[in-house]
Amino acid sequence: MRKILISLLLLTVLCIGFLAAQTAQEIVNRADASFKVDRVFSTSSMTVYKSGEAQPVQEIESYTMQKNGKSYSLSIYTAPRRMKGTANLMIEDDLWVRFGSTGRTRKLSSSAKKNSAGGSDFSYADMGDSGQGLSEKYTPRLAGEETALGESCYKIELIGKNSDVPYEKMVVFITKDTYRYIKIDYFENNANIKSMTFYDYKTVNGTDYPFRYIMENHTKPSRTEVEVDVFETDSSRVQDRFFTTGYLESIR
Amino acid sequence: MNQNQNFREKILSRWAGWSVENWGKALLIALAITVILGFGIARLKMEMTFYSMLPDKSNQVQDFKEIVENFSYASGILVVIDGRSIEDPMKAEKTVKDVIDKLTLEYKKDIYKPYISSVIGSVDMSLFKEHGLMLTKIDDLERLKRSYNNLNLVPLLEHINDDFETEYSGNSDKLADEESQAVAQFKGLGELLKLIEYAAEGKVISDSELDKVLESYMFGDPYIMSNDNRMGLMIVQPSFTINDISLLQPGVDTIETGAKKIASEREIKAGLTGITTVGRDEMVTSGQGLAVSSILALVLILGLLVLIFRMFSVPLISGIPLITGILWTLGLSGLIIHRLNIMTAMYIVALLGMGIDYAIHLLSGYIQERDGGADFKTAVEHSLIKSGSGIITGALTTAAAFFTLAVAKNNLIKELGFVAGMGILSELFVMILMIPPLLAYREHRLIKKGKTGNRIFSKVKIKSDAASGIGKLLVKAPITIAVIMSLIIISFSLKAGDVGIQDNLLEMEAKGLESVHLNDEMIKEFGMAPDGLLIISTDLEEVRDLSEKIDKLSSVKSVESLADFYVSDKEYKERGSSLRQFIIDLDSVDPSSTVNTENLLEELYRLEMNLMEMGDMAYMGNMNRLVHTLGAITGLDEDGAKVEETSFDRLFLMLEDNIDIGVSPSMKALQSDIFDKMNQKIRTMASTDKISLDMLPSNIRDSLISRDGDSYLISISPTQNPWEGTYRDIFTDQMESVTDKGTGMILVGDQMNLMAQEDGRRASIFALIAVFLILVADFKNIKLAVISMLPLLSSFITLFGIMALTGIKFDFVNIIVVPLLIGIGIDNAVHINHRYLREGKGEMDLVIARTGTALLMTTLTTVIGFASFIPSIMRAMRSTGIVLSLALAIAFLYSVLFHPAILIIVNEKLGLNIKSWRKK
Repeated sequence: MRKILISLLLLTVLCIGFLAAQTAQEIVNRADASFKVDRVFSTSSMTVYKSGEAQPVQEIESYTMQKNGKSYSLSIYTAPRRMKGTANLMIEDDLWVRFGSTGRTRKLSSSAKKNSAGGSDFSYADMGDSGQGLSEKYTPRLAGEETALGESCYKIELIGKNSDVPYEKMVVFITKDTYRYIKIDYFENNANIKSMTFYDYKTVNGTDYPFRYIMENHTKPSRTEVEVDVFETDSSRVQDRFFTTGYLESIR
Repeated sequence: MNQNQNFREKILSRWAGWSVENWGKALLIALAITVILGFGIARLKMEMTFYSMLPDKSNQVQDFKEIVENFSYASGILVVIDGRSIEDPMKAEKTVKDVIDKLTLEYKKDIYKPYISSVIGSVDMSLFKEHGLMLTKIDDLERLKRSYNNLNLVPLLEHINDDFETEYSGNSDKLADEESQAVAQFKGLGELLKLIEYAAEGKVISDSELDKVLESYMFGDPYIMSNDNRMGLMIVQPSFTINDISLLQPGVDTIETGAKKIASEREIKAGLTGITTVGRDEMVTSGQGLAVSSILALVLILGLLVLIFRMFSVPLISGIPLITGILWTLGLSGLIIHRLNIMTAMYIVALLGMGIDYAIHLLSGYIQERDGGADFKTAVEHSLIKSGSGIITGALTTAAAFFTLAVAKNNLIKELGFVAGMGILSELFVMILMIPPLLAYREHRLIKKGKTGNRIFSKVKIKSDAASGIGKLLVKAPITIAVIMSLIIISFSLKAGDVGIQDNLLEMEAKGLESVHLNDEMIKEFGMAPDGLLIISTDLEEVRDLSEKIDKLSSVKSVESLADFYVSDKEYKERGSSLRQFIIDLDSVDPSSTVNTENLLEELYRLEMNLMEMGDMAYMGNMNRLVHTLGAITGLDEDGAKVEETSFDRLFLMLEDNIDIGVSPSMKALQSDIFDKMNQKIRTMASTDKISLDMLPSNIRDSLISRDGDSYLISISPTQNPWEGTYRDIFTDQMESVTDKGTGMILVGDQMNLMAQEDGRRASIFALIAVFLILVADFKNIKLAVISMLPLLSSFITLFGIMALTGIKFDFVNIIVVPLLIGIGIDNAVHINHRYLREGKGEMDLVIARTGTALLMTTLTTVIGFASFIPSIMRAMRSTGIVLSLALAIAFLYSVLFHPAILIIVNEKLGLNIKSWRKK
């Protein structure tokens, strides 16, 4: 009898654990849906604040697409003057940079994805990985419920599925009613090294998307604010030919 | 003599009788004891730094102390040369470097010899110039080999371009990490381009010119400069540590005076920072704070007594014993614990406010007796018996509470308990010893002047029933008052848990200190914080392993250790064979007698583009120093617009024009010279000799190897101010993910707080128990003892609530004094209890009327003692002054309002017995 009771107890614990894991996965999947839209065209302004001082505003045109299970992203700087024509092309883990000042294109090593993009607090990976959603490379675990930016949220820990992921751990806060990402804390060596917060969600083609987000660096006196001006999904402006090095070299 | 007197009263009575008749002898006895204790004062060391207060039971603190004592690095005085007042950046850089050179010479003068063991004005590159390649990791070594395997002009430029494209292209993080190094290398490259331009024009390049440029390109700038080159840094290794109290102030002062003098000669500024300088500042500011507080407390207290007693001899009659009591406390401290720290020294000042209470009680008693018509001798005797008995009990209670601090785990709190307890007993003893003979001396002088003593006191204005209004109110509405007070206490209790802990040691220093300001400036201008973490290890392999892991942490700016100079046997073999092959490869390449113009042009175009791209990355990464350096070479302004003609432009024109003719003979000569000189430098760098620790430049050896040669230091610079905000946790958490061996002022500061909280809590509990037991023994009624503790406990709750609401934080100085409050704060309730028990039920208005003014006076003097720290420039002292004055004021209010109301309710409304069980 005692053995049966213990077995039942263990089974219950395992079931609860399984159900909790399922729930965390479902929550992240629903939140990721906003970012998993295809053929997105957007224009945005990015301002980096170093020690509280605003650096020149960077204006960026972005194109993303999913094709044959691969993620493609192209970001082209249109301002400031010095950066005009500079562009980053990412196809899965491959990354190319085109310099506006010289017109040359360089392929970077895959480890460079962790590096800062354009001196901002976003890494190339932060800027290019969004199309896949966070659930792709991380295992979620429900860590409770908390209020973030005044909203009641699920708090979910995402642990990297392998060592190739940019961050060892992320803690995401997803609103309980609308399944929107509100905040993401990025962890490296047991410490929260930066946090991204999302604001001004708007619905575009039935998808909620934040029109303003801020990445705050906790190891340097720096933060980067992004304001999205135009956001189109299934956009006809996104063309397959953009995601080639040939196109990159032709940018003026 | 009254037959009903107890033993204590008999002694007091005898002393009063003898001392007024033999006042001279009595004063001589006091003087003799003071002289004996003077030996103790002579032995007393004033250790007025936070360092001297570090807890002794923590591994982190023990490591930190070992580092301070054994590594001169930890005591390094950072001399910041600030040329930001000069607008022209080139001129500012040159002036700063000139000042560094001049100051390096200045510090060799005799006046600095007692204080300085070495000076680092610039980085010693001698070891690197001879063994640089052996010290280079194999991957980087292969990279360098590729860069330098053919030193003819075109292949050299080609390899430089290859290197830039693989190392820096698209990698602004790497560029930012190596900004200083990159700036120096690009400056050297810019100079090299100028020489190529001159050679293209047909000019002959001198050996010395080329040598200087190649040194700059290959080895960088030896000066430690800020991000925009307008500030420079020198490190002075003092011959003393922060713990050498006798040398600390004169040493740092002398070094500082020298720096400021030399800098001002060039019309720029210089300042000092680092733990040793901050320690000197703590010593100076705490000393100033104590001096101001002592004078202020003494003047206010004695002034108050003159006002109250209207007797101009009061400052002498009470002031002389008061100061004598202080001297005795100092003497006893000197004989037994040999030192005073910031906390115990502050207590000595506060003792002025507590010790004077005994004088007030004795003098009030004497005055009342004289006003009642008693003759001089009887008045002294009666006042000593009546007041003396009470103050002895009170002082013993307070001293006992103080002595319970001996239960603390750390010596710091034990020392405080000892000094506090001894201070109270000394003041008590001195007052009883000296006030009767001093009064007798006064009487003697008055009689000599023909004045009759017993009329003098008609001027005394102590309105003994000033508090009667409060007493009447208490009798009228005890429940209302108790409910109102309870509501206030409950309201504050809701916030009490939110009181913060000050974990930033720098916020406890005086405001506006240059050493603290420069700490912040260094983070802003040099991108590094002086207060990092330190690790000691006895194993060089471990040093390297930890250094490599820590260097990768995103919160770490740089790591300094012997890892850069340690080569294992396996690495010797690997690098040695690689270097030998390198030499063979170098031998196989001959200097070319020609330069292919087309290829040279191609590589120059490529180089320009690489530099422009790196300029773009520097621009976006806010690396201003690099933007300007690269802009000067490429002719681009901050916006990327071409604003000036450069060596590149002129070279392109000349080379394109002469593409068919070929380069000038000067260019060929330059190529030949570059080949020879670089070849020679690289061969010297490629020595395969073993590198022993003895070969290290003396400043590195002295900095990173312990004085006994047994252990090695790793110094970790954080990317931000480690004292502030969440960054501190990130830095320490990341460090802990690698090792738990880190120490430094930040972690030691945490240990201080931890110690203060743990020991403060422990000592408070013991003090509360001690006070409770004394109350039970005194009143012989547990209910009354419990009731008497209520105002004290309520005052703590209210204090914490007020602190939380006003943002006043606990720090390791003010938190430790909390247990002292228990001994002091209980007094008023005890006095009220005694009087209430004597007057009986329904007489609370009389109790308050009779005791209220006296309690106010004694509380006021004690508050003055603590409040005298509020004007102190040192913020730790100021916060302690605020917290303690506030606490005592609250305790007073609760004692005269809440406590009597509770007594009335308990005894008169509820009918509970509060009388001594003996009398039941």
